[in-house]
Amino acid sequence: MTAQFSYPGDREESSAAQVRALEALLIEKGIITSGTVDKVLSYFDSEMTPLNGKKIVARAWVDPDFARRLVTDTPAAVAELDLPEGMAGAEGEHLAAVMNEPGIHNLVICSLCSCFPWPVLGLPPYWYKNPTFRARAAREPRAVLHELGVPLGPDTEIRVWDSSGHSRWFVVPERPAGTEGMSEDQLAQLVTTESMIGVALARSPVES
Amino acid sequence: MAEMKLHPSCVADLRAPTFDQDWQRRAFGLAVALAEFGHYRWDDFQQALIAAIGSWQEAPANARGRWEYYEHWVTALTNVIRQHGLLDDGYSIPKIGKTAPPT
Repeated sequence: MTAQFSYPGDREESSAAQVRALEALLIEKGIITSGTVDKVLSYFDSEMTPLNGKKIVARAWVDPDFARRLVTDTPAAVAELDLPEGMAGAEGEHLAAVMNEPGIHNLVICSLCSCFPWPVLGLPPYWYKNPTFRARAAREPRAVLHELGVPLGPDTEIRVWDSSGHSRWFVVPERPAGTEGMSEDQLAQLVTTESMIGVALARSPVES
Repeated sequence: MAEMKLHPSCVADLRAPTFDQDWQRRAFGLAVALAEFGHYRWDDFQQALIAAIGSWQEAPANARGRWEYYEHWVTALTNVIRQHGLLDDGYSIPKIGKTAPPT
């Protein structure tokens, strides 16, 4: 980084200019068209959202057989549901679900970059990509979860899953108490993105 | 629990948007699009991203700028485009992987 880009404003402008130049060159060379990037982005906005993950978790809560299949072969179980077709090249492959249960809490991080199961959770929150979060969650997950206000007993085992190019983890949180008799759609609304990363529990029907 | 303190330099606001700037969104879309159309494998991009982030993390704290995730994304994108020769004369689209655009 040269001195001329030492101010935050210039740094932003420098990155923006680089991206504009790359896209323009790729269009000029005929590699992409002027609509390609917008098309991909709109697919993410409309289809690859946490709504998919919420539906998967709600199904797992009401159907124990599905829950078992979800853990043993996640992509196959996900394919059973009527969800938008994932973009195989875009982190949709190698989805892997882990299940919270009494005494076991799962937390997903990516210590190397920020692998994330886009098709089921959408795009990661910015803090997921923060180096401090990544390092601390790996090193002292109990402290981090405590700071995040996740109520875990001292005996609860915390399992940290490090996402990579070949395993993109997401968490099936525990079904909250007091949800007997709720429909799958109602249950899905209790599932948050944070609970599927493991930095929160599913919402209680009382608070929602 | 709108905002939760993790560490002085790591504040997690669960409602924060994913992209703060449009260039970040464009860079993201560009990297995904090129992989989708088979110009490189997503793994190739991922490795370039890991390398870019790794160099930042290994640099002494006083010699590196403030953390900006998408700057590493742009570095990785630039590198993977160069490694695969997308902008070279005579480049032809590889006949591998998925070629149909997402609709």
